[in-house]
Amino acid sequence: MSYIDIQNINFAYHPKRPILQNLSLSIDKGQWIAILGHNGSGKSTLAKAIIGLLEPDFGTIDIDGMTLSPTTVYEIRKKIGIVFQNPDNQFVGVTVRDDIAFGMENLGVPQAEMLEKIDFYAEKVGMKAFLDKEPAELSGGQKQRVAIAGILAMQMDAIIFDEATSMLDPTARRELMDYIRELHNEGLTIIMITHDIEEALWAQRLVIIKDGTVFRQGTREELLKEPVTFIEAGLELPVGLQISNALKQMNALSLELEEHLWESSLKK
Amino acid sequence: MKNVIIGQYIPGSSFFYHIDPRTKIIAVVVLMVATFLLETIWQVLIGFGIALILIIAGRVPIRKIVKGLKPLYVLLLFTLVFQIAFNRVGTIVLDATMQISPFSILFMIAATIIWRLLASFKKFSLLLFFAYLVGLFFIMKNLAFSPLWTTWQLTIYDQGLIMSGFVIIRLLIIITLSTVLTLTTKPTELTQGLESLLRPLKAIGLNSEDFALIISISLRYIPTILDEANKIMNAQASRGADFAEGRLKDKVVQVISLLVPMFIIAFKRSEELADAMESRNFVPGKPRTRIHDLKFNYRDLITTVITVLCLAGSILVKVL
Amino acid sequence: MGIQFKEVSFQYPGWGKQFFEALKDISLTINDKDEFIALVGETGSGKSTLAQHMNALIFPTSGTVEINGVPITAKRNKKIKYNSIRQQIGLVFQFPEYQLFEETVEKDIMFGPKNFRVPEEEAREMAKKALNMVGLSDKYLTRNPFNLSGGEKKRVSIAGILAMNPKILILDEPTSGLDPAGKKLLMNLFKSIQKETGKTIIIITHDMDLVYEYTNRVLVLNEGMLEFDGTPDYLFHRHDIDKWHLDYPATISVLRAINDKFRYNLDIYQKTIDAAVSTIAKAVQS
Repeated sequence: MSYIDIQNINFAYHPKRPILQNLSLSIDKGQWIAILGHNGSGKSTLAKAIIGLLEPDFGTIDIDGMTLSPTTVYEIRKKIGIVFQNPDNQFVGVTVRDDIAFGMENLGVPQAEMLEKIDFYAEKVGMKAFLDKEPAELSGGQKQRVAIAGILAMQMDAIIFDEATSMLDPTARRELMDYIRELHNEGLTIIMITHDIEEALWAQRLVIIKDGTVFRQGTREELLKEPVTFIEAGLELPVGLQISNALKQMNALSLELEEHLWESSLKK
Repeated sequence: MKNVIIGQYIPGSSFFYHIDPRTKIIAVVVLMVATFLLETIWQVLIGFGIALILIIAGRVPIRKIVKGLKPLYVLLLFTLVFQIAFNRVGTIVLDATMQISPFSILFMIAATIIWRLLASFKKFSLLLFFAYLVGLFFIMKNLAFSPLWTTWQLTIYDQGLIMSGFVIIRLLIIITLSTVLTLTTKPTELTQGLESLLRPLKAIGLNSEDFALIISISLRYIPTILDEANKIMNAQASRGADFAEGRLKDKVVQVISLLVPMFIIAFKRSEELADAMESRNFVPGKPRTRIHDLKFNYRDLITTVITVLCLAGSILVKVL
Repeated sequence: MGIQFKEVSFQYPGWGKQFFEALKDISLTINDKDEFIALVGETGSGKSTLAQHMNALIFPTSGTVEINGVPITAKRNKKIKYNSIRQQIGLVFQFPEYQLFEETVEKDIMFGPKNFRVPEEEAREMAKKALNMVGLSDKYLTRNPFNLSGGEKKRVSIAGILAMNPKILILDEPTSGLDPAGKKLLMNLFKSIQKETGKTIIIITHDMDLVYEYTNRVLVLNEGMLEFDGTPDYLFHRHDIDKWHLDYPATISVLRAINDKFRYNLDIYQKTIDAAVSTIAKAVQS
């Protein structure tokens, strides 16, 4: 049994224009999965459905053996956290400390335990020196790390990153990606929602969403063998792989060169 | 980047900073009530003395308090003029004939010009203003020569002066007290204190926790919204919206060009914020634990004792 | 004419005597014709502050910015019509949400021209022309701007500035948040606008691939200082650009890695993927 099991979900604000259509997907515990699609493909709607921020019109979502419903949604939100795109619009607290505490306060964690955990997880995301800072004094990348600390402090199994890097500059983006890898190594399930293929290739498994449903899925190596898949889904391969594919078509690609281009494009 | 800090809070570590916000709020309210019980100029002067001692002991910058008084200069001046002009009790301290003539008007115009020219020395603006008033008085009293157009009698009674002093000092005490509160208490602590104090109102259906959360989220987003308003204004200024020099007819559209984006962005933000809060297990009305705990300590005891003594003192002088 | 910065510094006010120095002693000249400039640097390096000086949205703390011959200094001069400067230098902000407000795309684009007293009919004509310039057809004129996709909103917001017919067009991170197809479309649009009209275009960006492929001049800001002003070729031939927190374009990095690994001697300075591919193919086949 998979950790997250999505069966034929459909969602629409207007019945004529479905956003999710018969989408099925399962995600194993501890996996790092990237959900990839161009703007408007429905991938963010999927993220919201998984943590019960919107209810599918039909179809079911099972998480850790529980079927998502208005009664189980609070249990499920204790297991899966989400980091959204806009760092400013998810920073609830007046200071970093208050923001990390927010989720725990909602869960009724005793104060002494909260203080301990705030220190621990702030240290972990490198924000300990900033505990008393206000959001106006922080960069976008720092705000995203505070959001992560808040989720970690609630002892979650999985984190969804919904375009979480898209408003960051390249340096902050790289730092966040490195940090996500660390979290994955510690056993967290990572669900990355993105339209950036470079980022998606950090994941073990890719799911390409197109027109509200799963277009292709598999390991990155499997999917990259058919570059046309990405083009059809409105995505663009990393430059190294584009070069490799073009050379291959011209029969100008040696085996070593191909190996090198692939290796350097797929970060571990 | 730009530092937008809300409220007047200035970081510090004196006595006042370590008092529980609830104690501070109650103490300030009680002391204000006590101030209103006072009846003579001597009593308010003593009250003001106590307030000054507290400020100095708490190392609160007096400069900041003076700054807080600025919007009230007009009110203070009005009180002074009103009391001097209409209070007709007690003994006469001044009875002067004021004369208006072409000369005195000329002199007054000259004085006004000199005053305005010197006004660039902002540091002494208040002092200059009083010098100007005294100058006007002196001109009308002594520099009229002839021909006189009209004369009037300026009569000042001692009670008028005393009453205006009384009212002004009382106002000073109240402003000083509230400024000390806002200078030494973080906005978050203030909301928490209020929340805690409003808790009994649950009986009449007011959920003080939700109320406090609303206030603290508002406080948190004020700098963000200000920053955004500034950006929107710049974006529309780039399209020729001229908020300073434009025609009135255009201004209506220009104001709309600011308000619509602000509302749309704010609406989107509130939706995203609601999602973020919900996904972090927030359920309105459900009991939560709090990271900040309000605790009374010996400082609160001292504050309470001083406050009670002040109140008792003012009741005492009222009754006796 | 154009824009001249003469020893410009700018400070944001802060607590007491502290302040944040966003720009330090910047001198540079921007022509109002035929330039395609990239303004790069990490977040907080002063890029946006510099851009806002270019159309007199903010005033230097010291030094002078001369915009088409009009000097802008710390002191506001009542004789200068700052507003008309903003018509000559168009600045498009990063988020279209900051400027869209009318019920139709047409009305929204007409807002700029009308602020500069252009008659209704003429403004309508300009709006149409500007919309076509950004690659949207006339049928968009009657659409509600809030119902458009992110990329379309962005293009309408650019049209709103283009309709004022500025000599210089400045765009703050125009491609951020767009997918690869949207990015390419927009960049090609800028290129064709630049070619057809001869306007100078300045983009603020973090994307070095775009800088290398499209622009002909780069300004690098780091901690408020102008560290580099020259062609992208000169910039990427340097080996120390990481001290300004810049990356190399992907084509250069990929080709450089191939050279290192296989001891080839390829010319790594290729602006496009196609050029990189043919460079490698030639080397392999010979």
